[in-house]
Amino acid sequence: MNFTKIFALSLLMLFTVSSCDEALDINTNPLVASAADPNVVLPFVFVQYSNRHVTELGTRMMDVPQHFSACFNSPRGGNTSSFLTGNTWNMFYTQVLGNLVLVEEDAIEAGASSNNINAIAKVLKALSFFELSSIWESVPFTEALDGATFPSPQFDDQETVFRGSVALLDEAMALIDAIPDASVNVSSGDLIYGGDMSLWRRYANSLKIRILMMIRNRDTSVDSQLSAAFSQPVIDDNTQAALVRYFDTPAESNAYNRLVEAFFGIGNETQGVYAPGEPLYDLLSEAEDPRLATLTVDPDGNGSPGNGTFLPFGAGAGAVISENVIRNDVPHILMLPSEISFYRAELTLQGVLSGDAQSAFDTGMAQILSFWGGQIPGARVGISTGAIDAFIGGLPSLASLGQANALTTVHEQLYLESFLRPIVAWNTVRRTKVPALDPPPGTTISTILKRFNYPPNEVASNPNTPANDPTDTPMWFEN
Amino acid sequence: MRILFTLMIFLGFCTSAMYAQRTVTGTVLDPAGEALIGANVLVQGTDVGTITEIDGSFSIGVPAGSSILVISYTGFETQEVDVSTRSQIDITLNEGELLDEIVVTALGIEKEAKSLGYGIDQIDGDELTRARSDNVINALQGKVTGVSITNTSGNLGASSKILIRGATSLSGNNDPLFVIDGIPMNNDQIASNSRIAGSRDFGSGASVINPDDVESMSILKGAAATALYGARAAAGAVIITTKRGTSSKSGNAQVSINSSYRLDDLFVVPDYQQDYAQGSLSKYDSSAIGFDWGPRNVGQQVSALPVTGQPGALTRVEDNGIKDFFKTGFSAINNFAISDGNEKMDYRVSLGALNQTGILPGASLDRYNVSLNAGVTHSPMLKSRFGIQFIKTDSEGTGASGANDPNIISVASFSSTVDPAVYDPWIDEAGNQINAATPTSNNPLWIRNENRNERDDSRVLANMSLTFTPLDRLAFTAKVGYDFDNDNRLITNRKGTAQRIDGDFRIDKFNNTQVNTDIIGTYSMDVSDDFSVAALAGFNYNKREFEREGLTATSLLVPELFAPGNAEQTVPNRAFSEQVLFGAYGSLDFTYKDYLTVTVTGRNDWSSTLPANNRSYFYPSVSTAFVFTDALGLDGSGPLSYGKLRASYAEVGNDTGPYQLDFNFFPITTATGQYGLNVNFPFAGRLAFSKGNTVPPENLLPERQKSYEVGADLDFFDYRLGVDFSYFRTENVNQILALPIPQTTGFGSLLTNVGQVNTTGFEFTIDATPIRTKNLTWNTTINFSKADTKVAELAEGVDRVLLASAFNSVQVVAVAGGGFELLGIPFLRDTISGRPIINPNDGTRLAGETRTFGSVLPDFTMGFVNNVTIGPVSIGATVDWRQGGIIRSSSVEALQGSGLVTETLINREGTFLDTEGVIDNGDGTFRDNDVPLVSSQAFWGSLNDNSIAEAYIFDATFVKLREIAVTYSFPQSIINKTFFSNLSVGLEARNVALLYSKVPHIDPEASLFGAGADGFGVERASVPSTRSLGVNIRATF
Repeated sequence: MNFTKIFALSLLMLFTVSSCDEALDINTNPLVASAADPNVVLPFVFVQYSNRHVTELGTRMMDVPQHFSACFNSPRGGNTSSFLTGNTWNMFYTQVLGNLVLVEEDAIEAGASSNNINAIAKVLKALSFFELSSIWESVPFTEALDGATFPSPQFDDQETVFRGSVALLDEAMALIDAIPDASVNVSSGDLIYGGDMSLWRRYANSLKIRILMMIRNRDTSVDSQLSAAFSQPVIDDNTQAALVRYFDTPAESNAYNRLVEAFFGIGNETQGVYAPGEPLYDLLSEAEDPRLATLTVDPDGNGSPGNGTFLPFGAGAGAVISENVIRNDVPHILMLPSEISFYRAELTLQGVLSGDAQSAFDTGMAQILSFWGGQIPGARVGISTGAIDAFIGGLPSLASLGQANALTTVHEQLYLESFLRPIVAWNTVRRTKVPALDPPPGTTISTILKRFNYPPNEVASNPNTPANDPTDTPMWFEN
Repeated sequence: MRILFTLMIFLGFCTSAMYAQRTVTGTVLDPAGEALIGANVLVQGTDVGTITEIDGSFSIGVPAGSSILVISYTGFETQEVDVSTRSQIDITLNEGELLDEIVVTALGIEKEAKSLGYGIDQIDGDELTRARSDNVINALQGKVTGVSITNTSGNLGASSKILIRGATSLSGNNDPLFVIDGIPMNNDQIASNSRIAGSRDFGSGASVINPDDVESMSILKGAAATALYGARAAAGAVIITTKRGTSSKSGNAQVSINSSYRLDDLFVVPDYQQDYAQGSLSKYDSSAIGFDWGPRNVGQQVSALPVTGQPGALTRVEDNGIKDFFKTGFSAINNFAISDGNEKMDYRVSLGALNQTGILPGASLDRYNVSLNAGVTHSPMLKSRFGIQFIKTDSEGTGASGANDPNIISVASFSSTVDPAVYDPWIDEAGNQINAATPTSNNPLWIRNENRNERDDSRVLANMSLTFTPLDRLAFTAKVGYDFDNDNRLITNRKGTAQRIDGDFRIDKFNNTQVNTDIIGTYSMDVSDDFSVAALAGFNYNKREFEREGLTATSLLVPELFAPGNAEQTVPNRAFSEQVLFGAYGSLDFTYKDYLTVTVTGRNDWSSTLPANNRSYFYPSVSTAFVFTDALGLDGSGPLSYGKLRASYAEVGNDTGPYQLDFNFFPITTATGQYGLNVNFPFAGRLAFSKGNTVPPENLLPERQKSYEVGADLDFFDYRLGVDFSYFRTENVNQILALPIPQTTGFGSLLTNVGQVNTTGFEFTIDATPIRTKNLTWNTTINFSKADTKVAELAEGVDRVLLASAFNSVQVVAVAGGGFELLGIPFLRDTISGRPIINPNDGTRLAGETRTFGSVLPDFTMGFVNNVTIGPVSIGATVDWRQGGIIRSSSVEALQGSGLVTETLINREGTFLDTEGVIDNGDGTFRDNDVPLVSSQAFWGSLNDNSIAEAYIFDATFVKLREIAVTYSFPQSIINKTFFSNLSVGLEARNVALLYSKVPHIDPEASLFGAGADGFGVERASVPSTRSLGVNIRATF
């Protein structure tokens, strides 16, 4: 029986599918890693943080502090959509903090040679928690990022988060001060300072000052901490600015411009997608501030289209944000020295710091004017040193304005200084109330937006999520 | 390929091999002496068979050595007739005590329908080719109980979502298993883009089957029916059996040809308004195409007409020109088959060709199926069969849907004042785009003609089996099957495309492979005269492998050069997965006196995707069938001719996808941003890795589905009226789900066993033959299916789980205590009157808190099938009714918000008062709205303010006249004078009419997500669906 033999052979072949267990032990993905070097995790953190920040908060809510006149899908009218809130929350907690906590744990395990990495992770954690609380007020901090112990993290109040962030920054600076000679090289993973830890220390200290200024709005007992911080190195030159660089290459470019090109066409000056908000435009134009020409283009002098309003179609309809700003390689700005200089002026005016408020103010003015006037990487429009000096020289002295007006002037400059940094700008107007912003037309709330609602995913999965306050409810730091 | 096909047809006519065999002719009649059309006549012990003609006649070549003919017909007793001494016989069949219907069950095992303890539907191949759909799955629409099939778009080759007995799984296991000739095949629908942003539906895996090759399709609905297949058929199974070789009546090779030619046009045309021109705030704007809020169109002169920019008078273009822009699609469906068979061997070779051009300009699809199905009886003890199908599909110009993609052309892209002829030409000699409405918008003909959406797919489905029968009642079968799919896609945006101005392209290639082996032993034994046992034991090995490589390239130098070196930025991608499943299974059928059957099955699976300590799992089933009419000795003299009760209980275990168990860091190529504004790695030369977002499970268990079913088959009045009823309930527990956890833990989800989904429903078929005379037969069938999906529990503290996310704040979610529902932002409403609350500042409606709007799944579906045979003419019609479920339509949103449709004509001039609304007086009372909006444009434009979804959520109920087919079969008196043995011509129409719908302007069946995701209930800029009308000719000789 030939066929019987064939059949028996076939059966045999079918059964020689090696041993069952061996054949089943194939459940390991060949295209992933079980561990990763911080020099490849940190780039993800930096770029994901930055790109989501620019696209989600930047292009959507620059009209909340009214730096832009109107943004698409903006929460300016009081309604913070589940996508805006969900995407932002997800970026901070799972993509940025979720990775940072693993980087931090590895660095702690590696010991002092990884102090630099540990410090960078802590600074970025502090930045993230500070921004999260700036957006939502109460957010998980003490119980966050440890699902095994805290599957449903408690939400901490803003004071706890802010003070905790300051503590993280102190830890980071202590780690930087204790970096041994033989350290892990983080130059590739550090997209901001290329591994220069002295600059990270300046940034950490400056960020600490930014947070303390917010706490101080409610509790002046942090004045001594502020004094101490100002005695330490801060970012005091535009070359030390904390920036995430973008490039004029297709998939490495800043999203402000990519949005214009992807959905409208080449160039914001032609398309008029982003127009300056009235308060920004008016402050700059009334002062004949040379920054106006670096930030906006307005050939027919029609000014801002108005609060909450887009430009109508057609060239010359009104002022637009210039292509010196809306361009592929404009950096994502985390912090500039001018912010710290203006804080110094503010605190000096209020007697917290000793020294010369005018000098700090002038320094801040020179820093921000020269930043937009040429020192920003890839600047297309310049302001000459002479023009900067002449403008600053032409401003009335703070002393001549009296204490209250001098403070307002500093706050106005902080407002202008925070351009293109939606969270900083929003914090500034909520903290200083300068300039006084009217709610946009058609709003459902009584003031400008004061907070986001919690994202539906967190509400649904975390029973400890507090009830949403109306989005015009001021936060703890707002006096 | 077309030339080859023509050649094959030509050769087919030349082929009529002659074999010396004895011919037996005769007639099959019912007891009243009426001819029985379509009765089966089979030479016993062979695959040689034929069916009777319209006059009941047949002619069959009986191979030497055979002498018994088996004559069978549904509803009649099967008869065996000895023809060893006769060449002409007349047979009268007795109306049936025995319903000898044989159906194909799990593992391809044929069983008598009366012995089955679960519901099953079987559709003959003829039904599938009567009004041919290009997707064999669609041909089931309206014809089978318990099955809902949704066409997702009007793209050529688009996928269809099939659900059997509703949705039962949170983890996406809602697709039935497709099995062809005993071998599982993939019905995956793999998206190249996001499923919501510029989604291209390139079809799903099972849609490649050639309907002409299908002998029958069995729909196994309950878990008891699919128990032997195990986990993969937890959502039901579609068992396809392909045609085998048979000889012609004269015993020669049989050639059959089936050709259809079909025209496709738009199924639904929006109710466009023609009174107002494009523009805004009553001001004409030549650039505002698809935005008809301009002035009243009285044929006034304008300085610049749209697109051309020339001065001239505005015209009104009927239906906004979409009937001109969308072409008349043309389909040629041809099939040629040759087959033969005798007691030693049988084979059938089939060549099918589907050549289509779509309604979208530039869309085409060509599919060629070559198949061979053959068997050899080597000896009485050993048989072998093998089959191979090679299927080549090439498509071009697949339309994009969703948003954020310049290639999307929807019904809202057209204005009442623009004749689409102005878009031609779309390109100048230098290769620049011309005749676009504005420099920043695209000429739709540029999009259609210059941007490519191509797919080149090769599929091989092969199977081989050996059956060894050492003893009369003992048999062993070994089957090996192989399913290989190689899919190559190229999606391009030519340089100069607005929104993709620098040009880009994407190459996406993947191989999807499945190897399946079954070894099955069967033994049957008569314990006594009344009691018999049939036993089956088997072993299954299944391996699936998926490999994908591709490239995304942006910013091209040379416009039409799709090479990586021509792009400034390229991002390659690669994916791989494999999984293995071993299964051991067995079943025992106990039959008492031919009227009581109890079937017990068990299967143990070992899966590579589960933790080693939980990878082995067992699940049983038991089912019983009781033919009480036989048990009680009812002779059919009363109204009840036949009655069967059935009941079953089954459990099914299920594994999960590969690589879910470990914590890993993933190499990342993209940092995501809003609006798809992503950046890529390497970024500044840096690589990027990120942790996964899912916490791996600690001790994952297999999913488990329990299901119960009871039912009855009843036939009355000599089988003139049949009722088939089933009630079922499935409980899906331990669902393996990436459960959303607070993102504040640093992770988005935790893979775990969680939740329970209960699906309860019933279905019935009423099948009646009110008229059956010699010249007129009318058969009518109503099938009704209802399945309620209830999410009995999710994890503690979790109210809902996302199933699919779309734009504009709508999500499809599973709601604890609810079903699969649409989540979105409603209007803020006065809780007492229910009327929307108006913003007193501007007259717009305010937004409420996000809530669910109801189930996206239908309440019930119903099919109404009629077949009338009048002499040589038969007429068939199918009506398909879907009741309930909701859909959110962004096409309607765009049509209304842009003032394109007639309802936006109300109060066009002046202000617009939203009379439905109320205004909050601030003291707990409300007054009728008295704050007008500045214009109707402002009203329609404000309905989606703050991402409000409510205005565009509709009841998705519809009634469609799904198909009509009229066939004329030439009578034998004419045929006999030709060399044909059968010849018929027909008219066929599909998607004939939308008889009822609550969704304005569009086909309510459209879906954004395609068949690959559980995203029901969302439509966005779908490619319009089509209506088809065609002619058909089929011949056998």
